[in-house]
Amino acid sequence: MKLRTIKYMIREGFSNTYKNLLMTLASLTMVISSLLIFGIFLLVTIILSFNLKQMEKQIAEVVIWLDKDIAPLQADDIELMLKNDERVLKCDRITKEQAFAELNEALEDPSLLEGYTPEFLSESFRLRMKDVAQIDEFTEEIRAVTGVEDIDFPKDFLDKLSLILKWINAGSMFILALLLIISVSIISNTIKLTVYARRKEIGIMKYIGATDWFIRWPFIIEGIIIGLVGAVVSFVITGYLYNALETYINSEAVISGMSLIRMLPLKDIGGQILFVYIIIGVVMGTVGSIISVRKHLNV
Amino acid sequence: MIEFKSVTKRYSNGAIGLQDASFTIEKGEFVFVVGPSGSGKSTLLKLILHEEVPTEGEVYVNGFSIHNMRRSEIPYLRRGLGVVFQDFRLLPNKTVYDNVAFAMQIVEAQPKEIRRQVPVALALVGLSKKAKAYPDQLSGGEQQRVSLARALVNNPSILLADEPTGNLDPAISREIMYLLDEINQRGTTVIVATHEKSLVDEMEKRVISLDYGRIVHDVQKGNYTNEA
Repeated sequence: MKLRTIKYMIREGFSNTYKNLLMTLASLTMVISSLLIFGIFLLVTIILSFNLKQMEKQIAEVVIWLDKDIAPLQADDIELMLKNDERVLKCDRITKEQAFAELNEALEDPSLLEGYTPEFLSESFRLRMKDVAQIDEFTEEIRAVTGVEDIDFPKDFLDKLSLILKWINAGSMFILALLLIISVSIISNTIKLTVYARRKEIGIMKYIGATDWFIRWPFIIEGIIIGLVGAVVSFVITGYLYNALETYINSEAVISGMSLIRMLPLKDIGGQILFVYIIIGVVMGTVGSIISVRKHLNV
Repeated sequence: MIEFKSVTKRYSNGAIGLQDASFTIEKGEFVFVVGPSGSGKSTLLKLILHEEVPTEGEVYVNGFSIHNMRRSEIPYLRRGLGVVFQDFRLLPNKTVYDNVAFAMQIVEAQPKEIRRQVPVALALVGLSKKAKAYPDQLSGGEQQRVSLARALVNNPSILLADEPTGNLDPAISREIMYLLDEINQRGTTVIVATHEKSLVDEMEKRVISLDYGRIVHDVQKGNYTNEA
């Protein structure tokens, strides 16, 4: 394609967007409403899985029990190994004395432990993992280390949680895809009206010998412009709503002293949301235009 | 230049467009295609334009085989053809000049070339002074001249006119027909589908008469009814 043709098409695309202002606004409204529905759903999914992940992290404590008769030096070695492991976020060593004290506290009746010394207890480590998904692999390795008696972590619970997370991810992917298809069809219907209004022009272009792509491009550019503007407007609205919600939840948290839901700060996810909006907006505009023009090209 | 070999066109609703039509049109000819409504005049032009494809038979236009060509070739076939319609088909939001220039932009002509050719085409149809007017400010005859200028600006070898005077009064129709004749004198092959009996008779050109999709007469220097 020649440069002047590209210039011509971009100019046409812009001028058509402006000339058919009413149709542009109609399409824009459709793009914005689709993106907002899409975006709200996306945010709910992100926050939900973020919160579940947080919960997973809080629950996922790994306790490593050492042999009761382990040599102190060997225990030191294991501690060093754990602390140097990249997968480990935090490692606390619980000595026999600490364990005894904790037990005493938990039992709430010192008489029960009378006559016992901390020696009957095992030493242990309490670990936090950087990534909960690595727990299985990690614990398998540690179990094989000499001096390790047993490992405890809420396996069933974590398995269930990760299954729930998987379902949420798959389900949201499905619904997002569905929303996308619905949006594209709504938008292509709106653009169809624009194209219908200009079918005469398209017909004339075909008779004169314009190629299909020559006719398509200005419409596609029009679609891209509408998609981009729609994405930015939707992003601004989403950001505003998100901030309002965040403020509300935080103030609730202050009043009740706790918060059930944790919101991610907008600046952490804003970039991704804008990116997704732009991609979807542009895809909707482009695909919508191509679908709408198709019928009229068969002359 | 144009060759129809036993061409039959049946539409999907069963209507017959053309039936076993064969003829050849040489470069530089002026041909009237006449016949009552529904006799197949438009079908004949549509086949040349590849707006329709033959059900049977072969159609050759400027070296393109209409009965067997790729969709992507259609624009290039059409660039060699100028078309004029009964309803002019001008773009109402473009000036006369832009309507004509549009035809050149579409085929990616150089801007310099566009600036040179558009005034030439407008001068040919006698509309140099109306270059800045919009179609709705022109009379029917003038609008048809604009569409002629648009059809000619890319120097097509063949000019097709489908009832070009159908919406015009007799005096104006005559002007348009003689303008087509003038264009033909410059070497362009001209094919006109028309109802204008008096003009066809007056101009003494080749006449192909159609009835129910069949060619009933094909006469050099003929007249509309060809009873001679």
